[in-house]
Amino acid sequence: MMRLSKKWTSALLAATMSFGLFAATSSAATDYWQNWTDGGGTVNAVNGSGGNYSVNWSNTGNFVVGKGWNTGSPNRVINYNAGVWAPSGNGYLTLYGWTRNSLIEYYVVDSWGTYRPTGTYKGTVNSDGGTYDIYTATRYNAPSIDGTQTFTQYWSVRQSKRPTGSNVAITFSNHVNAWKSKGMNLGSSWSYQVLATEGYQSSGSSNVTVW
Amino acid sequence: MRKRDIVPLVAILLAAVACSNGKPAANERAMTAEQPAAGDDFVRIEGGHFANTKSGYYGKEVAVSDFYISRYEVTQKEWADVMGGKPSAFQGDRLPVEMMSWYDAIEYCNRRSLKEGLQPYYVIDKTRKDPDNRSEHDPFKWTVTIQKGADGYRLPTEMEWEYAAGGGAISKSYTYSGSDEADEAAWYWRNAGERRLSGAWNWPAIENNRTQPRAVGGKKPNELGLYDMSGNVREWCWDWYADPELGSGTYRVVKGGGWMGDVGSAEPAYSGKFEASGIGPDQGFRVVRG
Repeated sequence: MMRLSKKWTSALLAATMSFGLFAATSSAATDYWQNWTDGGGTVNAVNGSGGNYSVNWSNTGNFVVGKGWNTGSPNRVINYNAGVWAPSGNGYLTLYGWTRNSLIEYYVVDSWGTYRPTGTYKGTVNSDGGTYDIYTATRYNAPSIDGTQTFTQYWSVRQSKRPTGSNVAITFSNHVNAWKSKGMNLGSSWSYQVLATEGYQSSGSSNVTVW
Repeated sequence: MRKRDIVPLVAILLAAVACSNGKPAANERAMTAEQPAAGDDFVRIEGGHFANTKSGYYGKEVAVSDFYISRYEVTQKEWADVMGGKPSAFQGDRLPVEMMSWYDAIEYCNRRSLKEGLQPYYVIDKTRKDPDNRSEHDPFKWTVTIQKGADGYRLPTEMEWEYAAGGGAISKSYTYSGSDEADEAAWYWRNAGERRLSGAWNWPAIENNRTQPRAVGGKKPNELGLYDMSGNVREWCWDWYADPELGSGTYRVVKGGGWMGDVGSAEPAYSGKFEASGIGPDQGFRVVRG
């Protein structure tokens, strides 16, 4: 996930605090939620009605909570409203998903906490009123939906944090087309696609509605 | 699921069969029984055409020769007895060994052969980079060739593995190896942790659920008495992964899926791929002879 260079040793020895909740607006699995604590860290996630979720976290390891679709699409316009977005430390407000065949993990990051992710710089794309920097990164022997793999991440990261608290959209096709123009081709098989809150060794809160 | 490049695979299989030297000499009790008793380590697989209607090889003019395959994934104890180390991320004598590369598996085969008085099946040249290896991420690229006529342990070919996992000549054409129900046949990400996971695949949730490989032989065996051919750890095969887009020479084939990935990869017909130098806590193997 967000730990770009994380190796298995650190994954297994150190990052034991992780938490996840995904729900898809088009599936019945929208009632799955969990409170989880360990070693002083706390994640409280609430799976709200429709496309809403909220999460409060404190001194956590890695977690990702989000809502979206079981099957991603390169043409989807993802609408959302982050009524609360208050990370203290490391966190992303991001469109997040996978393709398989080829195996690619992708992010369109609209806002973040203290750390703005980077990678190998490929250029920029203008979309939805902002400019995003495009990066790639390689993860070696890392967990994936295809089991452990060495695979590529594609990133679009907004140059400045996007204001929250109003209805906004991510026109994903703008990113897909820009990536393609840089030789960054997504796979042919689409796994889930969610608007996620992701945190790592941080605290904070978010309340997001996705449609 | 990828389209297969059938012709080269058949050619590789025939070459491998031509190189092998008939029946094993050691471990006679386990290795020659038509129906090995419970506790025996190897199962004799009667060759033939694919009877499994879900296999891409079904109805094709391809046939597998007889061979012997280990009933279980290679355990950590078996690994330590031969290699002397404990590479696995999740420790336990009865757990499958993991965190070992394809090269490590090849070395295990040869060292186990030597230990048991068999002829090593592989010739390993660590000084010459394999010109057929096109991987960007493999720093080793050892040149590994087959010792013609050797009777030692080896990795299964992709076709042998799929034939055995699919029930061989007595296949019931299950979706997974031994069952149509994934939970009956396989340890995978939903059922291999502390509680059952629902929703979409989500790595932090899987990690937090203490999901991990399980002791070998814990699920229902398949038609041939083989365990964990679906799920638990993915298993290295000998073959290069080949498809029309990628060509060949970048990855080795991995079969059976593991505790980490999507359950679709636990179907015997599915072929996964991984760099030969790759290691992961969901990557193991089993061995064959003959």
